[in-house]
Amino acid sequence: MEDSKTENTSRRRFLKIASHAIGGTLAAGVVAPVVGLAVHPWLKDTVYGTEDFINVGKLDDFPVGIPKKMTITSSKMDAWNLFEGLVMGSVWVVRKEDNSLNVFSTNCPHLGCGINWGEDVKQFLCPCHEGVFDINGRRISGPAPRDMYSFETKVENNTVLISYKRVI
Amino acid sequence: MSTIREWFEDRTGIKTLLKFALDEPVHGGAKWSYIFGSGLVFLFILQAVTGIVMAAYYSPSSTAAWGSVYYIQHKTSFGWFVRGLHHFGSSAMMILALVHMFQVFIFGAYKKPRELNWISGVILLLFLAGFGLTGYLLPWDQKGYWATQVATNIMGTIPVIGKYIKIIHQGGADYGNFTITRFYTLHVFLLPLSLVFFLFIHIALFRKHGVTPYWKMSEEIVKNRVDPFWPDQVYKDVVFAIGMYAALAGWVFWNKGAELNSPADPASNYLARPEWYFLFLFQLLKYCQGNLLIVGTVIIPALSVIFLFVLPFIDRNASRYPAKRIPFFGAVFSGLAGVIALTALAIHHDRHDIHIIHQQEVAEKQTARAIRLAARGIPPQGGLSIFLNDPVFLGEKIFKESCNGCHMVRGEGGETAPDFTNFGSREWVSGLLKDPKGKKYFKESGAMPPVKQPDESLLDMTEFLLSQSGDLSSTNTDRLERGKELVFKGNCVICHPIGDKDAKKVAPNLTGYLSVEWLKAFIKNPSDPKFYGARNKMPGFDKLSERELDALIQYLLSLSKDRVLVSEREEGNKKRKYVFGQTAPRTIKAFKSKT
Repeated sequence: MEDSKTENTSRRRFLKIASHAIGGTLAAGVVAPVVGLAVHPWLKDTVYGTEDFINVGKLDDFPVGIPKKMTITSSKMDAWNLFEGLVMGSVWVVRKEDNSLNVFSTNCPHLGCGINWGEDVKQFLCPCHEGVFDINGRRISGPAPRDMYSFETKVENNTVLISYKRVI
Repeated sequence: MSTIREWFEDRTGIKTLLKFALDEPVHGGAKWSYIFGSGLVFLFILQAVTGIVMAAYYSPSSTAAWGSVYYIQHKTSFGWFVRGLHHFGSSAMMILALVHMFQVFIFGAYKKPRELNWISGVILLLFLAGFGLTGYLLPWDQKGYWATQVATNIMGTIPVIGKYIKIIHQGGADYGNFTITRFYTLHVFLLPLSLVFFLFIHIALFRKHGVTPYWKMSEEIVKNRVDPFWPDQVYKDVVFAIGMYAALAGWVFWNKGAELNSPADPASNYLARPEWYFLFLFQLLKYCQGNLLIVGTVIIPALSVIFLFVLPFIDRNASRYPAKRIPFFGAVFSGLAGVIALTALAIHHDRHDIHIIHQQEVAEKQTARAIRLAARGIPPQGGLSIFLNDPVFLGEKIFKESCNGCHMVRGEGGETAPDFTNFGSREWVSGLLKDPKGKKYFKESGAMPPVKQPDESLLDMTEFLLSQSGDLSSTNTDRLERGKELVFKGNCVICHPIGDKDAKKVAPNLTGYLSVEWLKAFIKNPSDPKFYGARNKMPGFDKLSERELDALIQYLLSLSKDRVLVSEREEGNKKRKYVFGQTAPRTIKAFKSKT
């Protein structure tokens, strides 16, 4: 009787360890692919514009020294969907004397409000918290932590192309 | 560590609760025959976990459902596996539930005082069927769409209330957004909640009455041998669970995940087949025709379910020995035999009917094409719209309407004109040179004599003729040079003009033979003197629009494995040009500054 009792105890100790080990393996086997699927947006882009450089018009259409606001329209992959001709956002395009371009995000680097051009003061003004930037996008005053966001731009055959990525 | 544990235990009593919830005495000892119930609980948890993570990707609407399932299946890293587990896991649950039920039946475990255990179990089985039925539709693919149509129409055959039941499930008179939102609600909210509720009752009742051991086990052993549930029975349960999971995962790998058919097309004549565990009901309907339909759709299933519900009340004999319950064994097992026979008949019939096999092939081809087209992104109009801009799809439609009557393709269509199987491939053209009057080509209306050259030389000539189109996927320059010489120095040029695309002779002009341009001109007007002239027998198709003509030609080129389609060429270029590998035309709108 005593023997069978100790035998039972050691048998049960083994069963407990084995159950934990097998149960743990099983749980890991189930959780691994599930987590792998759940973190998919960390591994791959799920929402993106399909064009590297977006055409915003002819260089001649931009007056020298006066910022012009342009709407960025492109096609966009949104997970499984392809949306054509979707408005992605807008930019300020500034043509300089030497025909080079500055292209700024219309979103304030402070908290993302839309920035206006004040023609009377020749400055970019953010109406939310009174951020002020000069025509080159440099911060003059206000709460913004940095200058305005700018985008890479190139001109090919008189066509203005902008590498637009949403920043805020 | 232990102080934290004690602190927690002091305030919550969680350890005691867990011990109460998970441990129980197993009278008569832990047994391998008790593993099925807990196996089902494991599978249910697996279904819940995989279902929840898929719900983070799935979109229940008639325009988005297919795309989102496509995304899970083909664009995520483990999506195909998780979806496969969920899909085949439902089959595994159904099998295990039946095994569990038959074990309970054989052991006589439904007898007094366990009648309600049995009844709650039957309810759980019906919920399981409900899960299968509602889940089948959610991908909104051909298979789910058409099979579920049958199911909702069956609802409609219930006398008096059928119409209302059908409409409440469909969310309207026809399938649409509300069908999918309703099936989704059932599948992920109502059914799981109800199932958990009845599962709780089922397990609570089981705990109250304990296990029902093998009928030959003596009362004494049942009373005296008591094993703790933890770890004795749990060990057996987890071994079974991991074995099942390994088998299921292996099955998913073997099948490369669950199938996703092409998007639901309400205009197609897709062959509706339910999931395998409903096949017996489907087969039953074949024998219930006309006014008898209701016998198969309502009366027989309802009687079977009622029989299961009342079984513990009609089998009141206290003995659990099978020998003393022969009428019930007879009833239940003849029912099982009937189900198996009907299922086998359904499968056998489908495997041997040539039309069904053919339709399945067409569906598979369509599916493969859908998956390829969807990779470019699915327009917001929904899954089916991927085909709208696909020239090959449109071209095939036009071909079937306008050309197939005379030109056969892969054994289908008329025989008056040349067979277009493999049309425009090296094999097809060299075959034509060899035997223009053959059964596959111009038959007795052929005017051209066979080219009496060895097969190798025919292939050389073919290489040259086809290379003019510029869309061969690869070219053999040696062959091309030899072929060019053979064509120009041989007898071909006596009848066929080649080199000048407007030149006219007795036989068709072979400049740019079978190129897009050549085919376009030919299809528009084969009686043009530069083609067949007065000897032409084919009608001209100048009524086709440019777009339709392009599509038709793309389809014709797609028949040959040696040719490259225009759409594929574009795809190749864009892949080099753009980072994301997408083919979207630029659409630009400039707005005047508002300031």
